[in-house]
Amino acid sequence: MYSSTRQSKASDSQETVMRLATGSAVVIFSVSTCCMCHAVKRLFCGMGVNPSVHEIDQDPNGKEIERALMTLLGSPSAMPVVFIGGKLVGTMDRVMASHINGTLVPLLKDAGALWL
Amino acid sequence: MASHRGGQHVLSDSGPSRHHHISYAVPHTLHLPSNTSFINQEGSAFDFEIEELEEAIALQRVKINNNDEAKQTLYTARPRAATIEMFPSWPLKFHHTPRESLKSGEDSVCSESALNTLASRGDTCTATGHRLQPLLPPETQPQMEMVSSSDKPTTGVTESQLDAKPNPPKRRGAGSSSDKVLDAKTLRRLAQNREAAKKSRLRKKAYVHQLESSRIRLAQLEQDLQRARSQGFIIGGGAAGGNISSGAALFDMEYARWLDDEHRHMSELRTALQAHLSDSDLQIIVDKYIAHYDELFCLKEVAAVSDVIHLITGMWTTPAERCFLWMGGFRPSDLIKMLIAQLDTLTEHQAVGIYSLQQSSQQGEEALSQGLEQLQQSLISTIANGSVNDSMHQMAVALGKLTSLEGFVRQADNLRQQTLHQLRRILTVRQATRCFLVISEYYGRLRALSSLWASRPRENFIADDNSCQTSTVLQTLLSSRNQFSNF
Repeated sequence: MYSSTRQSKASDSQETVMRLATGSAVVIFSVSTCCMCHAVKRLFCGMGVNPSVHEIDQDPNGKEIERALMTLLGSPSAMPVVFIGGKLVGTMDRVMASHINGTLVPLLKDAGALWL
Repeated sequence: MASHRGGQHVLSDSGPSRHHHISYAVPHTLHLPSNTSFINQEGSAFDFEIEELEEAIALQRVKINNNDEAKQTLYTARPRAATIEMFPSWPLKFHHTPRESLKSGEDSVCSESALNTLASRGDTCTATGHRLQPLLPPETQPQMEMVSSSDKPTTGVTESQLDAKPNPPKRRGAGSSSDKVLDAKTLRRLAQNREAAKKSRLRKKAYVHQLESSRIRLAQLEQDLQRARSQGFIIGGGAAGGNISSGAALFDMEYARWLDDEHRHMSELRTALQAHLSDSDLQIIVDKYIAHYDELFCLKEVAAVSDVIHLITGMWTTPAERCFLWMGGFRPSDLIKMLIAQLDTLTEHQAVGIYSLQQSSQQGEEALSQGLEQLQQSLISTIANGSVNDSMHQMAVALGKLTSLEGFVRQADNLRQQTLHQLRRILTVRQATRCFLVISEYYGRLRALSSLWASRPRENFIADDNSCQTSTVLQTLLSSRNQFSNF
């Protein structure tokens, strides 16, 4: 009973995450005081993209969301976590790598976050 | 009048005297303004004197504590003695007393004995009473024996001191007593000045000698260091403070080995190009070069965890490289800009790829720089806003923020690594071989520049391009290296 409560709670938060992630073209899960999160926001703004940011430290369900993200990523959480077009891109590492290898821009265009 | 008698004894300092051992005692005795008289009928003037006496004693005590060997080295011209001499002298009769106690057989003429003599004088002298006592005890204890042994002569002296007034001068020439008092004082002062000047000269000479030898030694050390550095034994500036963390030291060692590998790879690339190998062979060499850089980023990742500040300050690189340091390494967009100028055989598709790579690396750098900027601002306010009460907490917070520097250096290295990988993807095998050779040679030259910079002549350097030594050395260096003539 206890475990099922936990599981349902977990699946709830995962649903929350997915709901939030698909809510906008570009979704960033962030911590308001985190400087790397600031960097990723600057990256998208610099490209002319207007991301939707969820500060999990200001969310009452923040802990749950963080746990769900950790499960999704399969690694200990490192904010920020980025979704584009509802699909998980990953943490700063992955975002940078995809920008350098040229896959980020097409992804943004497909999601309707960039027009050029 | 008793004063003039003391004056004689002072005079005896500068000349050969039966009080030979006393002549060097003068520096160690207390000095008070000579116009004060210790034995004084009027209490008010006496109070003033006692104050000065106490001050002088306190000063002397400091000097004693700093100069324990003073006793042992009386007969050598110790530089410190000169400073003590610079105080105005004791009232003349006061000088008399310590000397007399010394006469009683004390080898070591130390201020302690003088102080003790003071104490004993204090005892005998009605006016001083107990005023002196509180100041003296710390010094007087070990010297108690001395005091007791010299007690008699001291007392004797005291008594004779009190009677000293009418005694004619023993030493120097004739004349009326009042004249002699003046003369004695002046002569004594002159003698002391001479002593002080002599000691000052000796001290200066010793200091200059020390400076000279230190300077020579420093020059030798610098030479050794340069030699060692140019031979690759010591990596990085290793500036003031040899305290390098173990993580940093380990990284420096690994990096030195990596640099050796780098040279090897560079010559491999060069020979591969000149040998016109097949694409598959070139592929192997190029992949090995990329793996070589991947290895560096691995090393840096480990170093970032143990000592990110070592990485971010670039103490592991050479000075010239440090000029262009960005977040603990090279700036990817600068590298691309440099390559664009060097790689001319590009297809349109490739050119587009290179220019987007330049743009995306620039955007990535900008984002990371802004993130780092925010971190720095946050750290500044954390350090500035600490109050006394929660200073430990603030320190912990600051420490946490310093740790997040790691993340930035890691992301910057990630950016560098991705850039190199993307270059490999855009270019053909042959182009990639050239490209990596260019990169390798570029950084090789930057390091050579650092060596030249470190060994450049610094004195009387005439900044004339045609005549300066450095430029001729540079020319020789460049002509001996392969140019980018392969393209």
